[in-house]
Amino acid sequence: MVEQRDPAVKLDRGFWIVTAVLAVLSICGIIFWYAVPLQHWLPESAQPADQVDALFAFMAATSTALFVFVCGYILYFSIAFRARSTDAPDAIGVQIHDNHKLEFWWALIPALFVILLSVLSVKIWWGIQIAQPNNGMVLEAIGHQWFYTFRYPNVKGEVPDEMHLALGVPVTLHVTSSDVIHSFWVPTMRLKADMVPGLINTIRFTPSAVGTYKIICTEFCGTQHGEMNKQTVVIQSKADFDKWYQATQAAHANMSDALATVSTGAINLAGGDAAAGQQLFSQKCSACHAVGPFSQRIVGPGLKGVLDDPAHPNLVDGDKATPADVAKILQNGFKGDLGVMPNQAQNGLSDKDIANLVAYLASLK
Amino acid sequence: MTVAAVHGGGIADHIHPEPQSFIRRYIFSIDHKIIGIQYIITGFVFLVLSGMLAELIRVQLMHANGGLVSNDTYNEIYSVHGSAMVWLVIIPLVTGGFGNFVMPLQIGARDVAFPWLNMLSFWMFPVAGLMLFSSFLIGAPVAGWTEYPPMSLQAGPGTSMWCAAIFLIGVSSTLTGINFLVTILKMRAPGMTFTRMPLFVWAQLATAPLSMVATTALAAALAALFIERQFGVPFYDPTKGGSPILWQHMFWFYSHPAVYIMILPAFGIISEVLPTFSRKPIFGYKMIAFSSVAIALAGFMVWAHHMFTSGLAPFLQLPFMILTFVIGVPTGIKIFSWMATLWGGKIHFTSSMLFAIGFLALFTFGGITGILLAAVPFDFHVHGTYFVVAHFHYVLVGGSLMGIFAGTYYWFPKMTGRLMNEFWGRLHFWLFFIGFNGTFLPMHWLGILGMPRRVPVYDPQFQGWNQFESIMSFVMTLGILIFFANLLVSIRNGKKGGANPWNARTLEWQIPSPPHYYNFKNIPAVYALPYDFSEPLPYTGLENELTDSPAPATAGAH
Amino acid sequence: MAVATLPHAQTADHGEVDRLYAETRDLRLNGFLLFLVSDVVLFSSFIFAYLYMRNTGQGWPPPGINRLDVAFAALNSVVLFGSGATMHYALENWKHGNFGRYAGLMVATIVLGAMFLCGQGYEYTTLYFREHVSWAGSGIFGASFFTLTGMHGFHVFVGVWYLTVLLLQSVHGVYTKQKYFGLTAGTLYWHFVDVIWVVLFSIFYLI
Ligand code: HEA
Ligand code: HEA
Ligand code: HEC
Ligand code: CUA
Ligand SMILES: [Cu+2]
Repeated sequence: MVEQRDPAVKLDRGFWIVTAVLAVLSICGIIFWYAVPLQHWLPESAQPADQVDALFAFMAATSTALFVFVCGYILYFSIAFRARSTDAPDAIGVQIHDNHKLEFWWALIPALFVILLSVLSVKIWWGIQIAQPNNGMVLEAIGHQWFYTFRYPNVKGEVPDEMHLALGVPVTLHVTSSDVIHSFWVPTMRLKADMVPGLINTIRFTPSAVGTYKIICTEFCGTQHGEMNKQTVVIQSKADFDKWYQATQAAHANMSDALATVSTGAINLAGGDAAAGQQLFSQKCSACHAVGPFSQRIVGPGLKGVLDDPAHPNLVDGDKATPADVAKILQNGFKGDLGVMPNQAQNGLSDKDIANLVAYLASLK
Repeated sequence: MTVAAVHGGGIADHIHPEPQSFIRRYIFSIDHKIIGIQYIITGFVFLVLSGMLAELIRVQLMHANGGLVSNDTYNEIYSVHGSAMVWLVIIPLVTGGFGNFVMPLQIGARDVAFPWLNMLSFWMFPVAGLMLFSSFLIGAPVAGWTEYPPMSLQAGPGTSMWCAAIFLIGVSSTLTGINFLVTILKMRAPGMTFTRMPLFVWAQLATAPLSMVATTALAAALAALFIERQFGVPFYDPTKGGSPILWQHMFWFYSHPAVYIMILPAFGIISEVLPTFSRKPIFGYKMIAFSSVAIALAGFMVWAHHMFTSGLAPFLQLPFMILTFVIGVPTGIKIFSWMATLWGGKIHFTSSMLFAIGFLALFTFGGITGILLAAVPFDFHVHGTYFVVAHFHYVLVGGSLMGIFAGTYYWFPKMTGRLMNEFWGRLHFWLFFIGFNGTFLPMHWLGILGMPRRVPVYDPQFQGWNQFESIMSFVMTLGILIFFANLLVSIRNGKKGGANPWNARTLEWQIPSPPHYYNFKNIPAVYALPYDFSEPLPYTGLENELTDSPAPATAGAH
Repeated sequence: MAVATLPHAQTADHGEVDRLYAETRDLRLNGFLLFLVSDVVLFSSFIFAYLYMRNTGQGWPPPGINRLDVAFAALNSVVLFGSGATMHYALENWKHGNFGRYAGLMVATIVLGAMFLCGQGYEYTTLYFREHVSWAGSGIFGASFFTLTGMHGFHVFVGVWYLTVLLLQSVHGVYTKQKYFGLTAGTLYWHFVDVIWVVLFSIFYLI
């Protein structure tokens, strides 16, 4: 066997030529991603989209360069160092084990790159998550199997079908779900938030281009998850939006806040059992309500002293805080600024349960 | 005792005679080699089954409005496809299969530490597989392999079956992890220090604690899901105070490390194949070995990168993002070291080597898209789309599965004494490589442009590319078909390979193919790393292995 | 190339027992410890789940549920920890050949373990009948409390059986003064169950 220890580790001319070619290819790749950015294929319709695109361009460009080099060298080494038919059958390669200088550099350069990428990503993350203006409209989108509804300030009930937005007016969008997990994704806005039942996620953005854009559900939500891509965001000029907004307000004005009524007639509250109510409360209500002051909100408000709360004399539906009116809310549910309070059927309560619950709530001081 | 060899008594020479009945020998065997082959056969059977499900997916997606199966059936198909590929194909193959067959041979052990436990672990695997696939009879799970509640709480009874099946395969995986860890720590041949272990053993050493720890966390999550579904005990249901996000934390705390369970052993395979066919020592042995451990450790700290859009507190997103980026550094060190191993070699393009080189390119690609996904702002855009599907098929199919193919071509002669056909092997490679890229590359831009995953019907503007992908997936399937044909034919008719057809230098190649019952007549001693082609083999005590002197297995009981 | 000197596995001192036994014991001990590690992970996962739910909920215990009875649980804990001590001394006595005292201490351990289980049973019944707290019907409180303490109770239950078997085995001469791996494993397991209880007690009763 030929003794081949410690060969002169030399990089020949071929290596440098290949390196030069790969460098040129990488530069072409980088130019490509900056010359034809993402918005060339997918338009932008909201403000932080440009930042996401900038991050994407940077990552795509550097990745392309990296990939070109890795693959280029692999290909070149494979060809240049293939065993040839003229080689002795037991010919071996150069017996090098490592090269600490080389290893140092190829650990350091990716590490530096990771730092750079982290800084850039954090900066853009800041721009998307933190630095968005929050003086605009506060809207809500609610996922259902398999459609979205939207809530606007001072519009009673929920707006179906389209979500209207005004060009240039910042939006704080709270999303949640009424059943399983959905997701709210508008590809042209490059933003997405999962709609998780019992949880409110928030995204903020400023619409930046008039048009109609798809909303797509990207979280599996059952049989028709695939069809949950039909609704749209409609971005309009401020004037058009205001027109739509007023019309919608008017159209919804005499819509009732109550959800569909299940039991008719007032509930007999006499003889409610506070202990049984407490038991029920921990099963059915405590997911959304704390036994704390009104401001201690989970989904709905805290319920301690609902019936006798100087800080909050009226109930959410505006009526006086009487046992009868609390019972009415439990019976019919209520949809207000805070969210949806499910009705009697949805909570699975009998009339007796309601009496017990009201007795329990009344006992909280 | 005739075998009272150089190294005295003890476990190493505590030998039971080889069982003679067919059942004890091939069915309920406790021999790690037989168990390894059992894992490989079973894993390949499940590869065919879940690959067929994948082709059903592709056929359904040939048309934007579907048409092959109903929505619910489609959901069942990809849920079982994903679950089976992960838990019944890749994990059992790379740990139970190759780990079992190769690792004890490479460290010079007669078996794993707990052979009987090993048999038990194996038998849980086909049972779990049958359970998972039979869930089709009662309405298979629909909510994907991730089974997020509340969806998975509402779905039909198959989901409970899924929980039980995955729990079982998880227990099997945990036990294998314990078994391997003890084996590697305690049963290496004399002289095989940690820095003389083959890299495949290092990979198994890094993987075993992952299988052990992460899988147990999954067991807890699954048990809770099962209890909630069956007895209504609230853990995840938000209307009862539970939290769907809790499941996501518990699931990904397992499933991110699980992706390293799937890839680290494949890294190990590549680290064996590349030096052998380049006829060069592996470049940067220590860095490759330690980076496996670094990846395994860091793998426990990044799970929430799957949950960036799900309502993770914004400030928690940052550490998870940055730690995920950091994993690129040790992985990069591996890629560059493998690249440097090629440099100056005498490269033989066997089928195994082609798959190893293909692995380098495809895994790098998939890893880089992983880095893109880890950037929170970009993940906001592409989470839940085909971009993610593209990423993980690049690392799983282009990475783990290619590694499995490389390992099969490489160790097949050790398992059977015969070679696989090289012509068909190369054809397999090219069909697979081209078909693979054709199937999964377009998914990247489909995802970016707006195609969500887990949909049986989609926006017609994407139909062209989907048809292209489906057709290319048939090319890939053809490649795999050729592979299986080659495998089956070669078992009986392959060219005889002898003990060491590749002139490889790790310990398993220095004994006959297939190895006899107790692997080594004498336990060898090791005095250097195996990869120096210019040096004599660094083992002593192997002189009798390839001669006809009696095998120790006949030497009697205790 | 110089031949490196081989580290000799067989130079280790195995005391009075034969090498084969020493090596098997070594493997089994390692395996058993790793099994306990994964069991720790199992408990930790549920503990994480409990703390997670507790912190996303609305105060603890949730409205409508009283605080747990710390005094009784503390008493019960003392019983369990006492059994840990008797177990420890049982093994020590075995090692020193005092088989009679060993047997006595083992019986004490088993009895104390059983007493702990009875205590837990009593606690469960009072919770269920007096406070109407149940596994499935009391929200995340019932879910996490009964799942975790139930899992622990199951471990104690298994441990009581395991120790009984060990005791019978040792009476029948399965173990010797030198070879007693089963007893070591039993002790480790029992201490493990104790340690888990320390954690569960703190997170359910103290905080
Ligand atoms: C290791 C894992 C692994 C492997 C190897 C594969 C292999 C393949 N996968 Fe899979 N896939 C996953 C893991 C894997 N996948 C996971 C985890 C998901 C996510 C599921 C979820 O959303 O929950 C997924 C989801 C997934 C989707 C997305 C579904 C959706 O979101 O709606 C698609 C779509 O094209 C797909 C396709 C394929 C294809 C074409 C292959 C091919 O490579 C398969 C090729 C193999 C064969 C075909 C078998 C061998 C063939 C024969 C022996 C011949 C006989 C066969 C026939 C006659 C058909 N997979
Ligand atoms: C074998 C399996 C495997 C492997 C090895 C990986 C490796 C990685 N994965 Fe992947 N991943 C999956 C399987 C895998 N993944 C699966 C199955 C899913 C989807 C689950 C589902 O939702 O169904 C997923 C999803 C997934 C997500 C979530 C996406 C989402 O749902 O929104 C993210 C986000 O961070 C991610 C990131 C990464 C990263 C950073 C790596 C890194 O480990 C990659 C490191 C490698 C490299 C970076 C390349 C080589 C390095 C160099 C050449 C050096 C220079 C480079 C740099 C320094 C950047 N993966
Ligand atoms: C899915 C979450 C949810 C559940 C479950 C729920 N609520 Fe509510 N509840 C709400 C929300 C949201 C509001 C506030 C509605 C609004 O103002 O928009 C509310 C409002 C109320 C109010 C009026 C509070 C006030 O100060 O005016 C009462 C009383 C009430 N809920 C009682 C109950 C009781 C009793 C139960 C259990 C049977 C219960 N809720 C279950 C979400 C819920
Ligand atoms: Cu809604 Cu998917
Ligand atoms: Cu991950």
